[in-house]
Amino acid sequence: MGTILALAPLLLLALGGCGLMLTEAYASFTKAREEGASAQLALPSAVTMLAAAVMALGLWLKDPATIDGAKALEPWLVVDRFTVFFTMVTCLGGALATLLAGGYLPEHNLDRGEFYPLIIFSTLGCVVLAAAGDLLTLFLGLETMSLGVYALTGFRRSSRSVEAAMKYFLLGSFAAALLLYGGALLYGATGHTDLVGIGQALTKGGRLPYPALVFAFALILVGIGFKVSAVPFHMWAPDAYEGAPTPVMAYMSVAVKSAGFAMALRVLVTTFGDPKFGSWATGWPPILALLAVLTMVIANLVAGRQESVKRMLAYSSIAHAGYVLVGVVSVMKVGSEAQASVLFYLLAYTVSTIGALGALVWMGSRGKEATSYEDLAGVGRRHPAAAFAMSFFLLSLAGVPPLGGFFGKLYVFRAAVGAGFYWLAVIGLLSSVIGAYYYLRVMVYMYMRESAPGAPEAEPMRSGMVVSALVISGIVVLWLGLMPGASLEMAIAAAVK
Amino acid sequence: MVASFAPIFLLFVLAAAVAAGMFGAGHFLGEKLPSPEKDMPFECGNESSGAGHAKLSVKFYLTAILFVVFDIEAVFIYPWAVTFKELGWTGFLTMLSFLVVLVVGLAYCWKKGALEWET
Repeated sequence: MGTILALAPLLLLALGGCGLMLTEAYASFTKAREEGASAQLALPSAVTMLAAAVMALGLWLKDPATIDGAKALEPWLVVDRFTVFFTMVTCLGGALATLLAGGYLPEHNLDRGEFYPLIIFSTLGCVVLAAAGDLLTLFLGLETMSLGVYALTGFRRSSRSVEAAMKYFLLGSFAAALLLYGGALLYGATGHTDLVGIGQALTKGGRLPYPALVFAFALILVGIGFKVSAVPFHMWAPDAYEGAPTPVMAYMSVAVKSAGFAMALRVLVTTFGDPKFGSWATGWPPILALLAVLTMVIANLVAGRQESVKRMLAYSSIAHAGYVLVGVVSVMKVGSEAQASVLFYLLAYTVSTIGALGALVWMGSRGKEATSYEDLAGVGRRHPAAAFAMSFFLLSLAGVPPLGGFFGKLYVFRAAVGAGFYWLAVIGLLSSVIGAYYYLRVMVYMYMRESAPGAPEAEPMRSGMVVSALVISGIVVLWLGLMPGASLEMAIAAAVK
Repeated sequence: MVASFAPIFLLFVLAAAVAAGMFGAGHFLGEKLPSPEKDMPFECGNESSGAGHAKLSVKFYLTAILFVVFDIEAVFIYPWAVTFKELGWTGFLTMLSFLVVLVVGLAYCWKKGALEWET
């Protein structure tokens, strides 16, 4: 019984996904292809994912450590507060992205019901990935998560979208293969597939020489770097994000990235947490610090040069991976507070990104999408509510108090300072100043420019679901900004031991 | 340990050298008399019938992937059936849930027309 209780969010997602899949195939309304058919599936799937998030909250309140049956799942699935926290984040991200899709898909004539089972199964993969305590379940979760997203990326079936999906699929499978190869080497070196067992065996020395272990770690790091789109493994991201339908882009940059960081944290802390691998002098932190610096600086510089707002947000999502990496670097020195900063950042980033992309979805309608800066000229006058929502979430992404994004950045940089990496915090601060430039540029276009006569103007759409997704994200962003202490304490309790 | 594999490596090297030597000798020393018939792609001796890059219907792909799914299912069921008694109710319920998931997938494919060959 306890096992089922511990698995409740996962089971709910699996059953909900299967149910929606059959509904989509057998129900008459989807066959008739009446207007808004997919909107009828959007609400149930968003509710399924929100319910999974609420169940995870229930597990949190009960404390998964006290559930007897949860131990029976180890080492394959580890149901601890870390898992439960990421279940909440990814399910919330998935639910909000689904709400955006409920408005976006009918509006842009992409009204096909397969979207919803795919996004639910993909979220299931995210949760498994966050919970994975064994290389096998880790790979299973990674592939379940990715397969759904590959298909969703090519959902539009235009050549742009298909190109994005192909690019993402090929590079994604390549990265998964590298991760698998690294895992195979680790298994060969230690005789274990569970992360804790590998970690203990590595502490004792392992059966393979040290260079082979370094090679295995490098392969795993490349796999992780790809999933969280850290520079220099980010090349696929802008094209895949721009080609994908906007709600899918929101989902990819939010849930997939959070699950990738969950995997990264668990693998780095439990498997490579030994001082031999985890200290600054002989371990992985300097490598990750280099990745963090490259990601923050390059992504922010390139984002400022984009002409498309969607592509700018794609680069901004890469840049945010850099800020999160700053927290990950500090994990071995500061411990649970650095981990908590990562978790808090990911939560704040999730709602802010969904909000910004949701506002972008809201501003456009069929044939009159808002993609470039020029499209947004004058939106502040023509559609003040959408412009306000956009500004609100962009300010949170830029890290302006008192919004959630500010405290995310504050905690991450505080962790770096606490670990003694002042230079890392300084580079992070400087690059977030660069970041503020392109976020503010959007606002300048919305409020201070008028569209050129005869130029195409973005025309806002009407959708209750998009607005409700914006309202939910807005409430969470404000809550994180006004009362950051409560969620930070949650995040501290969620840290991997 | 490395030393005990040395003969095998030696064999690899020898095999590669012999194969490369024979093909190389044929390539560099042999006489070449190209003719239009010889330059044609070889298709079992018949006249070649068009380009090799024909478009295949996606139906083949669907059938193949469905075959793989149910093939794997059989692979899982055999060992389960052999140890059916030892696994008891836990094993039965686990296999049942696995089969239910597959049946859901089958029902979906059926309704979506993936099993129809002539449409």
